Amino acid sequence: MGEEENIKLQLIQRFAFLSENISIPRTRRIFAIVPANNFRQVLEYATTELGFVILCTITGLDEGPTLGFIYHLAKENGVMLNLHISVAKEKPVIKTISNYFPAADAYERELVDLLGAQVEGLPAGNRYPLPDDWPAGQYPLRKDWKGKVSEITEVKENA
Amino acid sequence: MPERNFKVSIGPQHPALKEPESFLLTLRGEKITEMTVRLGYNHRGVEKACEGRSYIQCLYLIERVCGICSHSHATCFIQAVEEIAGLAVPKRAQYIRTLIAELERIHSHLLWLGVAGHEIGFDTLLMYTWRDREAVMDILALLTGNRVNYGMNTIGGVRRDITPDQIPQILTAIDALEERTKYYVKVGTEEITLRERLSGVGTLSKEDATRLGAVGPTARASGVDRDTRRDDPYAAYGELDFRVITDNHNDVYGRTLVRLGELMESYKLVRQILKQMPEGPISVKAPRKVPAGEAVSRYEAPRGEDVHYVKANGTEKPERVKVRAPTLANVQVVSHMLKDGYLADMPIVIAAIDPCFSCTDRMISIVDTDRNTANTIEWNELRSIGINWYRKQGIDFTELNRNFKIARELK
Amino acid sequence: MSLIKKIVTWARIKSPWILHFNTGACNACDIELIAALTPVYDVERFGILLKGTPRHADVLVCSGPVTHQIKNRLIRIYEQMPEPKFVVAVGTCACSGGVFQGCYNVEGGIDQVIPVSVFIPGCPASPKAIIDGVVKLLASLEEKPAAAKAG
Repeated sequence: MGEEENIKLQLIQRFAFLSENISIPRTRRIFAIVPANNFRQVLEYATTELGFVILCTITGLDEGPTLGFIYHLAKENGVMLNLHISVAKEKPVIKTISNYFPAADAYERELVDLLGAQVEGLPAGNRYPLPDDWPAGQYPLRKDWKGKVSEITEVKENA
Repeated sequence: MPERNFKVSIGPQHPALKEPESFLLTLRGEKITEMTVRLGYNHRGVEKACEGRSYIQCLYLIERVCGICSHSHATCFIQAVEEIAGLAVPKRAQYIRTLIAELERIHSHLLWLGVAGHEIGFDTLLMYTWRDREAVMDILALLTGNRVNYGMNTIGGVRRDITPDQIPQILTAIDALEERTKYYVKVGTEEITLRERLSGVGTLSKEDATRLGAVGPTARASGVDRDTRRDDPYAAYGELDFRVITDNHNDVYGRTLVRLGELMESYKLVRQILKQMPEGPISVKAPRKVPAGEAVSRYEAPRGEDVHYVKANGTEKPERVKVRAPTLANVQVVSHMLKDGYLADMPIVIAAIDPCFSCTDRMISIVDTDRNTANTIEWNELRSIGINWYRKQGIDFTELNRNFKIARELK
Repeated sequence: MSLIKKIVTWARIKSPWILHFNTGACNACDIELIAALTPVYDVERFGILLKGTPRHADVLVCSGPVTHQIKNRLIRIYEQMPEPKFVVAVGTCACSGGVFQGCYNVEGGIDQVIPVSVFIPGCPASPKAIIDGVVKLLASLEEKPAAAKAG
């Protein structure tokens, strides 16, 4: 059995709720849809027991009623495990994973700035990547956001 | 003289116009005790723009995320799209992509050598490496029609073929560059001034490199044996033989040696690619609408691992495009490297991660917290301060600049 | 005296000092500009020198589409330059925003923020095109130095 299949089996054996939610589109690529409440357990298992010691990045998505977050993890041998969680857009709260991966800091700040996620536990620091004078409540990567910086600053002056 | 805690802002800052600094340093005497980095100057809004463009338009945009590794971003992106669309990219196209990829690595590492030389006052190195680099720029222009932003990729393959008459020209240029690089390796390993200047500077242990998520030559110089070409092969790398260059100096000197070693490997790779390149078509037809799906593509750019995530929704435009350039990983490690380091080392330590943002225009504000005054100096001045500081320690490139001559002219 | 010789002589007397500023460019134009300074192209033969500070610069050479973060600094740099001063927009992004036109964090070209004297298109602008543009600027000054002084 290939390594990807093996990992899938181990995940399902440990977390029954994953049994219908793991796909292997090609070699070295595993995608898993994880309930947001169980994310931390799965992350802990993946990083400490399955060897996923690399965080490539975190992708935030506007999924309509929810915001999605895909944590792209990798092993040193190149196999990737992409963990996808979704949270309600009205309360887009997730916990920082910077205790596992310090580099998550920049990726999580992007989620805050561009999608309006609320990341609990993120230490005080500069925002990234938007400028300080960017008006609050404007999240460029949300699907319903259409704008340009010159229009935005006009909005700010008129507000 | 009593020790003072100075807050040094490196970056555009002026008391009258409130702008954020790029790097905020806390100094005690001449040593940096703390540093925070602020990014965003290059934030243009590329990911959002992709959602409003066709895949081909996205390709042109993504190529321009970074002008030094444009092929890296373009290839990384298009690989994800091709995977979702289920396209079988022809072997010959994969080989051509790999050829351009290695030529890009060569131009990028030679560029870096020159920039590094400039930051420490070894300007003759800049002149020589950038002159040599023109040989590879000429080849890239010959093969692709442009010196930068090659536009070589299309969805399903490449747009231009390599013709038989081009091959000897490529090989001649590679032979000449290899000879020249051997000389730079000699200088790098034997020139005491250079070695002393770069050793023990910007130290990063293997544990920290791994924990903090460093990538590329920055990580490999701390003994981290990771290279996407070998670990998660793409394009033609699965069929090619090459060494991953690591080093254990854990400092800027190590980062220099790694890039020199990678140059030598790239020359060998180019010859292999040209020898093994199969005949055949250079692209397959691609649909305008990409069926719903998602993919993650990874690529070893000159600076390190590049990651692209693409989600398609069955239309002509992507649902989501996410780009994680290697510099974003490495810049988070810089504050750690500079902690307990000298202010004089700042320019070369930052340059040594080979940052993908323009570094030449950073301004520095020195805020004296006791007297509450602000002075502004520019990156150029900080560079001069660094060069003069080391001169006083006996590490001076004046002689080397004067006498550094390479006997044979590069044809 | 041919036009080129006139320009070369003028440049050697005037020695225009250039300040290079990246307003959020991808670096391709910046690299080509620096390449213009290195042995193969070598603009120093025209007496052109790259300087680090706005207060001594005659010509501001800008790349990039101007991101929002950098806009104020660009204005401040322009204001710090003594008269007569000239601005060269290098690359398609600096001319019009290029591929980044419409991106939310981009003003869309140098002339959206400060006056531009010379536009040098190209993606990136090649070293030859950059030299050509700068020489054309110098030539235009040669023809009307009085107007330049008044401006």
